[in-house]
Amino acid sequence: MKSTAYKKVERMTPAMRTIHWINAISMIVAVATGLYIAAPYYQTLIAEPAVDKYVMAWNRWGHFIVAIIFDVTSIVVAYLYFFSRFEKPYKKVLPTGKNIKEFFAVLINLLTLNRSKSFDSSHSDSFNTVYFTIFHLLLAWMLFTGLQLYVHGLESGLSSIGSWWPAMLHLVTDWTIPVSAWMVGSGPVPSIMDVRISHHITMWLIVVWVVFHIYYQVWRTIFWQEGDIAIAFGGSKFVKEDKEA
Amino acid sequence: MGTDKQEAVKSLFTAQSAKVDTNRGDTYYEKLYDQCRARLDALKKLAPINNRRDFRTVIEEEGLERRDFLKWASATTAMLMLPASFTPLVAEAAMVMNRVPVVWIELQDCAGNSEALLRSDGPKIDEIILDIISLEFHETLMAPSGHQAEKQLEEAIEHFKGKYLLFVEGSIPRGLNGAFGTIGAKAETFIDHLTRLSKDAAAVVAVGSCATFGGIPAAAPNPTDAVGVMDVVKGKPIINIPACPANPSNMVGVLLHYVLTGQVPELDSLLRPKFAFGYRIHDNCERRAHFDAGEYVEEWGDEGAKNNFCLYKVGCKGPMTFNNCSIIRYNEGVNWPVGVGRGCIGCSEPDFWDKYAYERPMANANIKAPTGGVEKTVDEFGLGLLTAAGVGIAIHAAASAVAGKKESEREEA
Repeated sequence: MKSTAYKKVERMTPAMRTIHWINAISMIVAVATGLYIAAPYYQTLIAEPAVDKYVMAWNRWGHFIVAIIFDVTSIVVAYLYFFSRFEKPYKKVLPTGKNIKEFFAVLINLLTLNRSKSFDSSHSDSFNTVYFTIFHLLLAWMLFTGLQLYVHGLESGLSSIGSWWPAMLHLVTDWTIPVSAWMVGSGPVPSIMDVRISHHITMWLIVVWVVFHIYYQVWRTIFWQEGDIAIAFGGSKFVKEDKEA
Repeated sequence: MGTDKQEAVKSLFTAQSAKVDTNRGDTYYEKLYDQCRARLDALKKLAPINNRRDFRTVIEEEGLERRDFLKWASATTAMLMLPASFTPLVAEAAMVMNRVPVVWIELQDCAGNSEALLRSDGPKIDEIILDIISLEFHETLMAPSGHQAEKQLEEAIEHFKGKYLLFVEGSIPRGLNGAFGTIGAKAETFIDHLTRLSKDAAAVVAVGSCATFGGIPAAAPNPTDAVGVMDVVKGKPIINIPACPANPSNMVGVLLHYVLTGQVPELDSLLRPKFAFGYRIHDNCERRAHFDAGEYVEEWGDEGAKNNFCLYKVGCKGPMTFNNCSIIRYNEGVNWPVGVGRGCIGCSEPDFWDKYAYERPMANANIKAPTGGVEKTVDEFGLGLLTAAGVGIAIHAAASAVAGKKESEREEA
């Protein structure tokens, strides 16, 4: 084995890493509480008085808190997607010839088990950026459907922060009803239950997304031998000097 | 997507909110009071239609006291979200109800809504009012049949042209050009029947889940292509009173509102009156504290059931259902589904048979794939996806371990 000089490449700023781990923790909490809200999977002790447990209420509280954190990071991510000074992800998903070529080169690299690798792996590639974009579209759908489910409890049109809040939520999220009905398959009239089913199925899609995401980053680390897994922690990876573009 | 669907989508997109204004200020109510006063005075000058019986006589014959009637009048005033000062007007409106003509038709249905208002435990004021309204035509209740019945219908719609309220019970089958449901000797299809009768109606009131959203006939696979009234009738005020059966109190509420003001009540995006469907069942449920506490009936008849725990895990859909039955209940406030220990099946929501009535939490309910294919529960579907992803990853990982080339190996090669 020849000795080669490696060069450090910065890939995630501290802000990006913070968002990454806030999202990861939020997601674990959202899935754990969301599954309980969908079908309560543990029992509370019957002997305890109701006032001491409040189990569903705490689960819903936790779900809403992480949902709001998610909503805020989503807005930040959406901003950085187009205006980041570090790296603008949208540039990598535009269907230009260069991006399409890179997308398939990365896919082929994955499918040929790293026997072929004909792209620059020092920077965020087109394949990973598309994958990242899919995730954030799923999250955005969860945001809109979740707020639609939430506003059902504000049917009085009032809230502690004013009537503008439920009014705005209706304005911004009512479109998810017909869209969910179209996706889930509905009768003559769309129903709010379609939104709930869609919200739940999308959770599973996100879980599947996460499973592949973790596998793929570990796989890259093992096979590319460029320390990719460190990106999410230290913010940088290492590439051979001669390879750095 | 047809024009009807587009309209439905449009109305959903422009839905403001289910907000119910319980206080619109003195000026509004003073103006409304004067309008109602004028309308009632005008109606009083008219004679009761077809020698309908006087309300006061019927009340006396049924052995009800004036006090019962006044109690009912104030409760109904509150239900309609009017100030207490309107109580005398509501009482007067009840007495002139026999001056507003109603035509009631049945389409693809089980007559459950007619049953609901007939089979009460005893004649109560809501039912009496439905007895004395000028019901000009009702296939199930009327004595004549065949050509005589048809003649009566033709006369009624001719005589009360533009004035009658058309109550519709049952969905409208559109498949086979409507041949799934026909009526009369000339085999008029339900679509034609409804279209013809609604043309000269003052307003159309869809009663029950079938007439509003298609209900059970429209459940998957909807063999007759059944839809509700609002997907067929255009250009008429439509009021939806869903639920299976619709609550007679809400039917009377809509009728009274019409008699009182001459207008349809304020409606939500699904054309349901907000006074009745502006509430979520869940928020006024007597078992709500158990929901928040996480105390659920795990199976029928268990310790939780004996302690009136929340029915969410046996499939209660109260959190997704808008209706006032947790407040006004059924049969003059005797009880309601959650009160008797079984969950809400969301009967006043669209698509309730497929999406609400399966007596399990949504995550454990069978849903159809968008292609209409195999039924799986939502969680089975999700776990299936996850398993498929897991298998794919396992194969890729195994293949990588066996045949993959790490960067260092690749360069040596």
